[in-house]
Amino acid sequence: MNLGGNNLEKLLISSKPLKKESKYKFYKKTKFFGFLQTIILFFLVSFSVFSQEKGFDNNIDSIAFFINNAKGTYKFSYLKRAVLLSEELKIDSLIKQTSIEFAKQSYFIKDTLGLTFSINKLLKHFQLKKDSFSLAKAYHLEALNHKIKNNLDSSFYYYHKSKNVSIALKDSIEIGRRLLSMADLQVKELDFLGCEITTIEGLKYIEPIKKHRTLISLYQSLGNALGYLKKPKEARGYYIKAMEIYKFNPVKDRREKNYLTLLSNIGMTFKDEGNFKKATSLFKEGLNSDSLEMKHPKQYQTLLGNLSSIYFIQGKTEKAIEGYKIVLNSRIKTKNLYSQSVSHSFLAEAYLKNKKYSLAKKHANKGLELGKKTRNNKQVLDCLKFLSQLTKGETAKKYLEDYIKLNDSLFNRERNLKNQFAKVRYETEKKDKENAGLKQENERHELQIKTEKQYKIIGWLAAGVSFLVIVFGVNIASSRRKKILFEAQLQQVEVREKERQQIAKSLHDEVAGDIRMLRLKLAKTNQLEDAKKLDVINENVRNLSHQLSSESFNQVSFKDQIINLISEYFETSFRIKVEEIDSVDWVKINNSIKRTLFLTIRESIQNAKKYAEASVLILSFNETKKAIVLIISDNGKGFDLKVKKNGIGLKNLKERVEEISGVFSIESEIEKGTKTTIEISKNG
Amino acid sequence: MDNKIRILIVDDHQLVIKGILCSLKEVGDFDVVTTNNCDAAFNLIKADINSNPFQLLFTDLSFDNITDQSILQGGEELIKAIIHDEIDIKIGVITGHTETNRVYNVISNLKPNSYLLKSKCNATEIGFAIQKMLVGEYYYTHEIHQKIMYRNIVKIQMDDIAIQILKALPNHAKISNLEGIIKKNDGTRIKLRSIEAKLANLRTDLNANNNTDLILKVKELGIID
Repeated sequence: MNLGGNNLEKLLISSKPLKKESKYKFYKKTKFFGFLQTIILFFLVSFSVFSQEKGFDNNIDSIAFFINNAKGTYKFSYLKRAVLLSEELKIDSLIKQTSIEFAKQSYFIKDTLGLTFSINKLLKHFQLKKDSFSLAKAYHLEALNHKIKNNLDSSFYYYHKSKNVSIALKDSIEIGRRLLSMADLQVKELDFLGCEITTIEGLKYIEPIKKHRTLISLYQSLGNALGYLKKPKEARGYYIKAMEIYKFNPVKDRREKNYLTLLSNIGMTFKDEGNFKKATSLFKEGLNSDSLEMKHPKQYQTLLGNLSSIYFIQGKTEKAIEGYKIVLNSRIKTKNLYSQSVSHSFLAEAYLKNKKYSLAKKHANKGLELGKKTRNNKQVLDCLKFLSQLTKGETAKKYLEDYIKLNDSLFNRERNLKNQFAKVRYETEKKDKENAGLKQENERHELQIKTEKQYKIIGWLAAGVSFLVIVFGVNIASSRRKKILFEAQLQQVEVREKERQQIAKSLHDEVAGDIRMLRLKLAKTNQLEDAKKLDVINENVRNLSHQLSSESFNQVSFKDQIINLISEYFETSFRIKVEEIDSVDWVKINNSIKRTLFLTIRESIQNAKKYAEASVLILSFNETKKAIVLIISDNGKGFDLKVKKNGIGLKNLKERVEEISGVFSIESEIEKGTKTTIEISKNG
Repeated sequence: MDNKIRILIVDDHQLVIKGILCSLKEVGDFDVVTTNNCDAAFNLIKADINSNPFQLLFTDLSFDNITDQSILQGGEELIKAIIHDEIDIKIGVITGHTETNRVYNVISNLKPNSYLLKSKCNATEIGFAIQKMLVGEYYYTHEIHQKIMYRNIVKIQMDDIAIQILKALPNHAKISNLEGIIKKNDGTRIKLRSIEAKLANLRTDLNANNNTDLILKVKELGIID
């Protein structure tokens, strides 16, 4: 038992071969032990399977836990564990989801390694599942990676690639977002024209689907680009468009930010047009918002900075300096070095104008330092310019040289980047064209294959149709032959019927007439006994003649004939019931069939009355698609089919029915009545 | 001009003609003409139509002496020809044919004013027939009358709707209540007008004076239980 227990523990760790081995060992033990252990084994195995399933659920739960609790210091370790766990579980959707989440967080802390990790996971997922969404996302992350490293042209390139994959996927939101990012890059590199083109393309995708957040951003980017291009009126148009939909932004905080930014931007367009009054009122309106500095410091700083710059232009330098100072302090509080350099630069300019050179120099230096640090080239240039004005001799010359050098390099860089962007766009367009060409060729090829296939199909169809036609023809020919045969049979019956009529007529007219004469003669000679006998013979002959002849079915309808026939046998002690006689369309039925049915009925009635002593006889008609069925049943004495072979009447009937390819069958048992079934095909 | 009633008798058997003549003598004083074939009979009727027309015609149905030259192939055709020419003459049939088929066809299609059987044709029968014929009424000998009655009963028994109506009628005060109760095999309702028409036919078929009489007769005849 102990040994068994050990094996069981091993089993718990699982694996099937082990199970066999341990089972083998069990069999060496006594039967009883083996039996007990098998039960325990079974129990434990099932338990372990159960717990494994539970473990699976646990893992999913823990992924959710990791994702939900990925905050603060544990953020990254948790997220990474979530990615690894989902990879372990091989749930593709989870791998994708967790990777993207991890990448997002990595980007926020500018962790390029984390991004690369996610990119690899997504690329793997794409290769496995051919999920193009993963590919687009991987390109997107690659772009972000380059953005962090400040490789703007590469970043632009990957955004572009990601966007193209999304276009293939028809994923409009992703397309719009990528285009927006690209436009941002272009603004940064002062490629406003390119930005305009990109944003307009983005609008093409986003406007129809009404994705308001992205749409607002696009409008703003486009407005900014137009503003830089000195088209304030057009810029304002787009800002106003954004203004119309900013209220659809579901997040309150963002909504307010949107509004303030738009106010500021619209104000700037008025400023650019020289409409300072309007600009001032807009900036002031923004600044009057409730506890603005607390809630939206960035917007506050921009609005106040812009207002101050108007004061500066209007010559209210003191007022401007005051504003700039507040902005600078606020920016120091929010540790925004990039914007601080802007404030410093503005202050330097203002002090320069006020001829407070030492203060101007101090701010220019600070602006230069921060500008260099944050790659705020515009401020660096401005500050260098101010410093060259503030200093004299060699120092001034050096600043000026720096200024020119930087300006040139920036100019070149800008031009290069512009070219680069243009090149990326151009090359992809070219590729698109090539692809289109290839596609056309492919299509042509496919078309050719298709037509060949069609020809083949047509060939087969033609063969099939001709085969069907042949089969159909053969079928028609055979059925026609059948029909002709059937008609010939019917004609035969018709001829025989005529013969019978003639015999009946001669019986009635000649034989009966002769007998009548004979009877009269006998009556005259007073031989009344013999005369009476002759009467009986005469009656018999007449009956025979009536039976042989039957009225033409052309003149009297079949139903009337049957009614006449039945009323001939009318008696209260012998009832004849007719069922469903109207279910048959008798007009369309051949006369020979009707005559055969009529004679069968008459014979059956006579048999039932004379021999079977029945009190009830039922005639039941039925018409199927191909045949007419008549069932005649009585409640008479019946007879034993084996003992009494069909009498002459029945034999005649059977012959008549079979003459026209019908089926005649009779069932009977002593004391249980007789049932006759006749089935006659309507057309052979 | 003679005021006697003119009667034409057509039969191919001389004995039968003689028998009828004997009976007629017992009935009254008539101007009787006889012939043994249908063509001759028709010619006689046509010939005298304006000068001295026949009022009555007694004819057999089947004739043994018909040849291929005969135009009218029997009693039925003779009657048809008279009807076709709209000749004003009352027609009686004296024949041996008792098969329901023939009787029914002759009576329903040719509507002779009387139908007598040779075997039972005596003076009383003929006298009765002549009385009725002269006033435009009908007289069928008892056996024939019974045959027609049996036929009507059989016909009614085969008519599912008639049976439905007859069974339902005693349970309803008004005929209009029957509408919706009487249905065809396929479940469609029979309209009141059709029900009334059917009842009228049933009354004539069974010689009933009214619906109550009809129900009584139907029960008596065992058509319904």
